Amino acid sequence: MNDFSIPSSQSTPEVRSDWNAGQLHMAGDSYPENSFDLFQQVFDWIESYLDQAGAPLSLELRLLYLNTSSVKAMMDVFDLLEAAHQDGKQVAVNWYYDPQNERVAELAEEFKEDCTFNFNIISHP
Amino acid sequence: MDHIDLFAMREQFNSQQILLCFNGPISRSLIEEIGNALRNYLAADSAPTSAAMDVFAVYIEMTQNISHYTRAKGWNEQEAGATVVVSRDEGGRYIVSAGNLIESADGENLVSSIARLAELDKAGLKAAYKEQLRRPRDAERPSGAGLGLIDIARKSSAPLQASLQPVANGRSFFSLRAVI
Repeated sequence: MNDFSIPSSQSTPEVRSDWNAGQLHMAGDSYPENSFDLFQQVFDWIESYLDQAGAPLSLELRLLYLNTSSVKAMMDVFDLLEAAHQDGKQVAVNWYYDPQNERVAELAEEFKEDCTFNFNIISHP
Repeated sequence: MDHIDLFAMREQFNSQQILLCFNGPISRSLIEEIGNALRNYLAADSAPTSAAMDVFAVYIEMTQNISHYTRAKGWNEQEAGATVVVSRDEGGRYIVSAGNLIESADGENLVSSIARLAELDKAGLKAAYKEQLRRPRDAERPSGAGLGLIDIARKSSAPLQASLQPVANGRSFFSLRAVI
């Protein structure tokens, strides 16, 4: 129920939710001038999932480059997961990156610094 | 009017190792298209992945800052122009430069913010970045450029250089140069 998917464009990632599996997938670059519309859908889905599903949630990320507007939006998403974690809910992030591209791992590391939930940065050639 | 001397322009582009340059009204789709071309040039130039990522990121932040600014001011397309150059220096480092018209008072604020950023080391820039990231959206300065500028400074291997050239009607041409 309640699933959505957005195909990728040049400046926006592919996004796909899977309520039954408790997963949200995001892959690709994100550098739209205004990231609000895109991330609002992501945010809304996560909020209702955390509110209603009563099951673990994991974000499966294969994101590459994020502009600062997208970084800010992702921070809001991770803050939402952090609050759920503090509430005792089971949340996780799995961020896969190509070891050839160290910038992606650095980006993920900086987000991880502010999170106490299960945040995995996984080298995936 | 003098004819355009393409040969002289070409000589100048080549001697300054200019990979890409653009001057004119800039739209959202144009930023993406030029960005795409830039990525292809960097790949053809065999730029290391991290350098290519950094050059692209700096280009995006600079041009989107310009785009946000001109939209916030409600300027028309002709006023909303940008001048963008990506080049290499003698040492082979990539240089991203971008300039645009700006209200002189905003320009002075920007130049002094950039001077303050230039005094910060890597750790200081990271702290400033995280602090700005946590600032509520509506508390951003009208020039908007807060987080983007710090991001550009973090991706640069030398302090950012900014300058302001008065034009007319209280406006100036602001230019920013980042060495990756």
